[in-house]
Amino acid sequence: MSEVLANFSNALAGTVEQSSASVVRVEGRHRLPASGVVWSADGVIVTAHHVLEQDENIQVGLPDGQTVPATLVGRDPSTDLAVLKVEASGLKTPEWLDAESLKVGNLALALGRPGQSIRATLGIISAVGKGWQTPTGGAVDHYLQSDVTMYPGFSGGPMVDSTGKFLGINSSALLRGGTTITIPTATAGRVVESILAHGHIRRGYLGVGAQSTRLPDAVASQLGQETGLLLVSVEPDSPAEQGKLFMGDTIVSLAGQPVRHLDDLFATLSGDRVGTSVPVKILRGGQTQELAVTIGERT
Amino acid sequence: MTTLLEELNQEMGDVVENARRSLVHVLSGRRGSGAGTIWHRDGLIITNAHVVRDQSPRVSLPNGDTLPAKILAHDAKLDVAALSVDATDLPTVELGDSQNLQPGQWVTALGHPWGVSGAATGGVVIGSGAGLPDVPEQDREWIAVSLHLRPGHSGGPLVDAQGRLIGINTMMIGLEVGLAVPVHLVKEFLRRELGSNLQQSVTTLL
Repeated sequence: MSEVLANFSNALAGTVEQSSASVVRVEGRHRLPASGVVWSADGVIVTAHHVLEQDENIQVGLPDGQTVPATLVGRDPSTDLAVLKVEASGLKTPEWLDAESLKVGNLALALGRPGQSIRATLGIISAVGKGWQTPTGGAVDHYLQSDVTMYPGFSGGPMVDSTGKFLGINSSALLRGGTTITIPTATAGRVVESILAHGHIRRGYLGVGAQSTRLPDAVASQLGQETGLLLVSVEPDSPAEQGKLFMGDTIVSLAGQPVRHLDDLFATLSGDRVGTSVPVKILRGGQTQELAVTIGERT
Repeated sequence: MTTLLEELNQEMGDVVENARRSLVHVLSGRRGSGAGTIWHRDGLIITNAHVVRDQSPRVSLPNGDTLPAKILAHDAKLDVAALSVDATDLPTVELGDSQNLQPGQWVTALGHPWGVSGAATGGVVIGSGAGLPDVPEQDREWIAVSLHLRPGHSGGPLVDAQGRLIGINTMMIGLEVGLAVPVHLVKEFLRRELGSNLQQSVTTLL
């Protein structure tokens, strides 16, 4: 009896065992420790930002049972990711898989190591969507949601597929209501590389205060968008002021991307645009006109 | 592709059907009932201590007979009780190995959640052994499973992918984690509490 079910069960347990060599414990808060993933064999660890309640005295429990001190390289609250470095060599790095190759309905295992040993739970991929903006303004390549229950201490650990390939880093803190969100491979890669290079995630900066406002009907139909961003303040010496933007202007597009809400602005002010000059289309005195601004860096 | 899922589906059903033969109702106290697991064909039933609320529990067998049960042993701390009923040739399930469970392996829990008789729910082992975070009494061993145990599951069997008994469904911690007493602790309990009083046939099973 039960050959398929037994094989299925053994395969799941085998995948967990194989993947566990790249999953570490992260002790960076008073409560229960959380989890992390080996990013490089020489000791770069990626984990969740929200599980690190302190910047110092962080410890990492390696899969071989050793506990070693870790330094915080940097964090990105907007994607709930953080990077640690430990003195180690020969750590096992996982094989990563991009969200493009996932299908809704695929099996997914969430792994964690809040204690000494590996812990696992199973579910299916519930949604593989387009790029999205986290509530804290982080740009994420794919909306990746599963029905996997995140147990205490699982944040910062990986979601893995049935073959043990890593799909991304799990976070229970990005969305309310207990939705399990996985920060996909591509985003984690971008954020980790940026943190390793700059110590933080580069974010573009304009220096404006703004709110969404309805456009006059004629302009709305001409542009094909109903709202824009009314500037309610412009910081002195900011990129916006240097680009001759004024309070009372309404931004309708930036770098060719329509700007309807604050989220659109956040999305357009990505790190790779820092230092570049981009066109900004505004509505001033009932007329649309185009200016140019050089995106600064948020510090 | 579909065939594989169909086979999986069929076997999941078989595992439940097989395990359900050893699942009983334990009636004790004024309200509701818990579950119990037939441990030995000659009337030895294992359940949770918290399911046995008075001195005169009754047990409903899978064949529908309801019999008075005697409390042979009771350990509130371990949350296990051994009952005996006057019956022979009861169906039992094979005992599994609860000391070498692997996170990720498939498990099925049976019981009577909210009074639904013989219901099943499936999930995976999250972790097992001592020192699980956030569990009562950190030093004792548990099986933590990713399934929802409800009132009426307590005392029922937790079986592995081959349908072997690995634990006794006991409680939830938080909203999402089910806990079961591993069968090796039940064996120890029976040896300790019943020892030489066990009939020969029962002892050989331990």
